[in-house]
Amino acid sequence: MKRLVIHDPTLRDGQHAVRHGLGLTALRRYAQAADAARIPVVEVGHGNGLGASSLQVGQAAVSDDEMLSTVREALGHSRLGVFMLPGWGTSADLRRAIGHGAEVFRIGVHATEVTLAERHLGFLRDAGVEAQCMLMMSHMASPEVLAEQAARAVGYGAQAVGIMDSAGHFLPADVSARIGAIVEAVGTVPVVFHGHDNLGMAVANSVAAADAGAGILDGCARGFGAGAGNTQLEVLVPVLERSGYTTGIDLYALLDAADLAERELMPAPPVTGSMSIVSGLAGVFSGFKHRVVELCAGTGVDPRDVFFELGRRQAIAGQEDLIVDVVAELSSRATDS
Amino acid sequence: MSPAAGLRGARPEVAEPVTVAVIGTGAIGRDLVSKIDRSPALECRLVAGRNPQSAGLRYAEGLGLATTAGGIEAVLAAPRPFDVVFDATSAASHREHWPLLEPLGTLVIDLTPSKVGQMVAPTVTGVSPATGRNVNLISCGGQAAVPIVHALAAEFPVTYFEVVSTVASEVAGRATRMNLDEYVATTGQAVTAFSGVTDVKAILNISPAVPPATFRTAVHARLAGADPVAVRAVAERVAERVRSFAPGYQVVACTAAGDLVTITLQVLAHSDVLPPYAGNLDIINSAAVMVAEQYATRPDRASRTGVIS
Repeated sequence: MKRLVIHDPTLRDGQHAVRHGLGLTALRRYAQAADAARIPVVEVGHGNGLGASSLQVGQAAVSDDEMLSTVREALGHSRLGVFMLPGWGTSADLRRAIGHGAEVFRIGVHATEVTLAERHLGFLRDAGVEAQCMLMMSHMASPEVLAEQAARAVGYGAQAVGIMDSAGHFLPADVSARIGAIVEAVGTVPVVFHGHDNLGMAVANSVAAADAGAGILDGCARGFGAGAGNTQLEVLVPVLERSGYTTGIDLYALLDAADLAERELMPAPPVTGSMSIVSGLAGVFSGFKHRVVELCAGTGVDPRDVFFELGRRQAIAGQEDLIVDVVAELSSRATDS
Repeated sequence: MSPAAGLRGARPEVAEPVTVAVIGTGAIGRDLVSKIDRSPALECRLVAGRNPQSAGLRYAEGLGLATTAGGIEAVLAAPRPFDVVFDATSAASHREHWPLLEPLGTLVIDLTPSKVGQMVAPTVTGVSPATGRNVNLISCGGQAAVPIVHALAAEFPVTYFEVVSTVASEVAGRATRMNLDEYVATTGQAVTAFSGVTDVKAILNISPAVPPATFRTAVHARLAGADPVAVRAVAERVAERVRSFAPGYQVVACTAAGDLVTITLQVLAHSDVLPPYAGNLDIINSAAVMVAEQYATRPDRASRTGVIS
């Protein structure tokens, strides 16, 4: 049976759902529960990763240093993971995370912009920690382009490389084609899939990824994440086991961790609401939801139209300032007509 | 003289143009060469790159300029030092170039975020370096944001600044991509230096959108009792001044909610070689060329080179 590595970004990606407001007690308690379940990697941080606390996407309740030291202390078996977007965080943030004992480092870049990761992947390789490269908004690139970008990431020093379905836009056949092309391009280097559930496909897409050769799959407790949420971890793991894979994760302890997450991390588990469906269809980053709804309030602009317009403009994660323009434009169009 | 005085008159007729070399033939170097070529005060004597096949070198050849693939060594080997050397390479390269150029007495205008020289943002600092012979143009986001943060902090009790820029992937070359750490550090440092606000953050997005995204910078500020009308007036006043050298600079949005103010700026390129969305390159190069043109009129330059103007 093929062994898969499960990577759990509940304490990083879930931050998007609570505006980066997880406190230290919540971080510690979930990390302990995930560790007890033997989840191989527990990732923590601001929703956009190291150094990303900002007005642009939201300021974190606690600093990177506090998050890292708290979760580090709570983990005995699981490895500590972090995420960073070049241009948001810098090598100085990576260096501090290494100092805190982080072991798995992910550099995230837009699907076609892998050259942005060259420097930081090289830095991590030289520092002797595990460096992975994640291609985000991967529905915006073809399987061939993704394969070529992934091969370059490996050339820069990535020890694993993968794709994020940041908008929750994929159907299983899309994932099979992309993961298959990447596996072919990078050979024995593990390939990662990170799903979002906007169209209710995250678990099915993750299984498709495994069947196409992915070796690392991401999942969050109760799907904790922006919008419709991520792949639901405690569903993903038993489904993978039934599909003939092993994960080394203890089922009851995993279910306990998920129950704890629902009680202590989130006001309510994510649901596939109307905005999430629209953002999935439009191919827009799920994290834009709060800001879109907020900025439309009182303007008479339909937030669904804003998502489709943002999709037309190919807005990428980090460009939250574009929402203001789109709402203003749709608002003036409505007034003119 | 107030810093901005004389900005409009910065294209002086000079008896003898200053001699110029450009190192770096990426997108920024190419636009720089086109702007220098148009300036009556500047005479481009050498364009130096590393790759003999680069489009930037071919472009310079097409203008009839002397070119070399010999990089900094070719600049150093010139029989007579250039009056001005523009460095459009990378922050790491600039740190190597400066100790080699410094002994020549050349004015070095650095377009990388190296933090080596004296930072210049024309409407805030003027374009004549007060000290030293190394002028640093900060970054494209710095050029867009510094005039705004400087004016806001002077008029309002700002406690936090955040500067988020978006650049089209098409015009972010390899040096830019390798220099994101320096971009973030240098832009943040410039915001602090010219606003006095110590709690700052700089962010850069590279957007692959098609059609390409026009260069924009959002300045977020935390300030108590923000009056949107007063804030907008300040922003518009600043934009008017910046347009004296970067005509495509405009305020596209200005919002105030609670204690959070956001001013969004966009810069359209006015250039012979750049597409309109490449305002990031246009604003930094326009500022750099102004520094050189101002230098061309300085009496100390004339006495040093023996030219009576």
